[in-house]
Amino acid sequence: MFKKNYRHDNLTAYSMLAPILVGLTIFVLIPFAYAIYLSFTDWGFYQAPVFVGFKNYWVNLTDPLFTKAIWTGLKFTLYVLPAQLVLAFLFANVLKGLKGKFSGFVKSSIYIPTVISGIVASVIFVFIYDYLGGLANYIAGLFGSEPIAWLAEVKYALPAIAIPAIWLGFGITTLIMLAGLLDISESYYEAADLEGAGTFTKMWYITLPLMKNISLFLLVTGFTAQLSQFELSWVMTGGGPVNETQTPNLYILLHFLNDVMIGRSIAAALMFFVVLGSISLVIFKILNSEKAVEG
Amino acid sequence: MQAKGKFWAALISILMVLSLALTACGGSKNEASSSPSASDEGSSSASASPSESASAAPAEKVTVEFWQTAFEDSTNKWFKKYVDEFNKSQDKVEIKYTLVPGDAWAQKLKAAQAAGKAPEVYTMNYGGIANAAKLGQISPLNGLLPDSAFDDIYDNVKDFIKVGDKYYAYPKLVEPSAVLYYRKDLFQAAGLDPEKPPTTWAELLDDAKKLTAKGVFGFSTAQVAGDLGWSSWGLQFGTSGHQAVTNYWSKADINNDAYKSVFKFYQDAYQSGVMPKQQLAPYPDIKPFGEGKVAMQVNGSWAIGQLRNTYAKMVPNTGIAKMPSMNGDPNSPTATLGGWTLVVDSKGKHQQEAASFINYLLAGDPAIMIDFFKTSGFSKFSPRKSVDEAMKSDADASKDAWRAYIAEKIIPTSVAEPIYPWDISMAVSTGIESAMKGTKVDDAIAKAEKTINDFITNNKLAGTNPKQ
Repeated sequence: MFKKNYRHDNLTAYSMLAPILVGLTIFVLIPFAYAIYLSFTDWGFYQAPVFVGFKNYWVNLTDPLFTKAIWTGLKFTLYVLPAQLVLAFLFANVLKGLKGKFSGFVKSSIYIPTVISGIVASVIFVFIYDYLGGLANYIAGLFGSEPIAWLAEVKYALPAIAIPAIWLGFGITTLIMLAGLLDISESYYEAADLEGAGTFTKMWYITLPLMKNISLFLLVTGFTAQLSQFELSWVMTGGGPVNETQTPNLYILLHFLNDVMIGRSIAAALMFFVVLGSISLVIFKILNSEKAVEG
Repeated sequence: MQAKGKFWAALISILMVLSLALTACGGSKNEASSSPSASDEGSSSASASPSESASAAPAEKVTVEFWQTAFEDSTNKWFKKYVDEFNKSQDKVEIKYTLVPGDAWAQKLKAAQAAGKAPEVYTMNYGGIANAAKLGQISPLNGLLPDSAFDDIYDNVKDFIKVGDKYYAYPKLVEPSAVLYYRKDLFQAAGLDPEKPPTTWAELLDDAKKLTAKGVFGFSTAQVAGDLGWSSWGLQFGTSGHQAVTNYWSKADINNDAYKSVFKFYQDAYQSGVMPKQQLAPYPDIKPFGEGKVAMQVNGSWAIGQLRNTYAKMVPNTGIAKMPSMNGDPNSPTATLGGWTLVVDSKGKHQQEAASFINYLLAGDPAIMIDFFKTSGFSKFSPRKSVDEAMKSDADASKDAWRAYIAEKIIPTSVAEPIYPWDISMAVSTGIESAMKGTKVDDAIAKAEKTINDFITNNKLAGTNPKQ
């Protein structure tokens, strides 16, 4: 059973794994374990941590703002993700049809938002949403509307912040969709053409099913990214009006910055980690990803 | 053959581990030497390991890290100028100066504290001192500074920096958080007397309605929770005579008519259409007034400096007045007396050296402080008797009418900032904001009261007021 060079094999395997294991231990495992420990304590940098059991978790759970922040995050994701996926899918189909230099130009221009940081985008959109002299209210004014308090009105603030989020993620989503579209073999479409299938039928029975893996990937990464979004609302509204745009990560950040004891914000971060993890799990389960029949 | 291959694989992976470890070390070294605005001497001694600098020749200067939160340009320049002067004036201490933008302050300081690399001297406002002292973040300055330095401070300001029987900070200035700035020319155009600014809330809202015209809003004050949290303290105290929690911090004290009327005032101001629906600038910024977009703006006394330095054209048309109170009583507080101090971090290794810098800058030659008050357009006020004394003989200072008005009419009626945790102020101000956005005052009050009481329970706050 035991081969002669069993030990040698293990040695090589472990030594090859060592760099990543050491790195993971130092930068992920130890901090993670330490964070879990700290979440059960009251700790304020200048004193030794005091064990308080589940208090921090309990305080978060009973804080209406914490639950509200989770809902706000879900609502925000609901504004951003479907719009982004649908727009990107349609645009990727347009891109697929484009030929030559022009297609290259369009591809690079839609990628631009992806390399712009969220903070820069927030600042740009703060100017757009400016109450007096902002672009958004200028356009509204052309239609005879009074200036709108985009970032101060409870009903407008969250959608107003969703728009830069859609814009930021649009380019990369489109390009990934395009890669998926180009991966679908032309022969399917040719066969469908012979059968006399229309555009819609081809889309429904060929394109969409074969894009399942791509969609799953975009759905899971998009869900996590949008639910973790915080810099847009941090810069644009600070979480207001009346906590309406306080996303989970912003809730955690504000508590970290403001609280004297930081155990509670660590506990909140861990709880949010569980929420994110279970949502991703549910998406995987529902879509039940399998390998595509043919790439 | 196979064994040889494995040997190489093992060797390569060991090398990779080593390089990883090395880059990690390299990273921390870079961090130490790459911080900006360090002089050559400063950065070389900072990147040296502690043991090296300890064994170095005694002639070498001790480097003390100093962080300043960003204020107006004139103040930032003043800090920079006198840090340089101090470094030149002696050969024992080298101050390494870092200017930190206000919105990055909390994050940067927290990160530094977590890493055990907090600056040894930094700016702190009065409201933070008691709690920082209680938590042992800052060192008492008795003994580090000469007693005479503390004797020079006005008695009411002494109270701001004292916890128990020790002084934990040295004050730089005091400034009232609320002053009403109004446009005399627009008052005239609207048929109002420019020498009679409003004194009650009713008058204020009435005048604001008359002043609102196309392109000009009648009135502007804080309108988001973060700004309202501190800028409304004066009105809260002036109207109710107490703070938002009981003295022993055992429960909320806002479910009463006085607090309701404060909420109502903000609600009326916002909903009557005399204020912009979305704030044009953060509360501490006088820009909307300076650019002529509002006829009356509430702002701190610091805005005088901004008006004089940036919007000089607006100054001749500007009048200043005390922020109106509910019923017009001139003695009723409508502002808090905020301000900034320097503190010494309790984990700092060079506390005496750090204190010597504070002693030079804030407690030393009155001329240094006079230079500060002058460059800030006399928008701030001295906590030290000797500085005020010296200023009397200064021609510019003694002639300044705004300075005199604020010093005589506003500062004496202003109250100290509350020292309870910021969450409590935020609960109140979130309530005010929601009332402005349409929630009924009673509901907003009830919700804020519950939030505060929950906070007190969860954080076992009752009985922890360091000043009681």
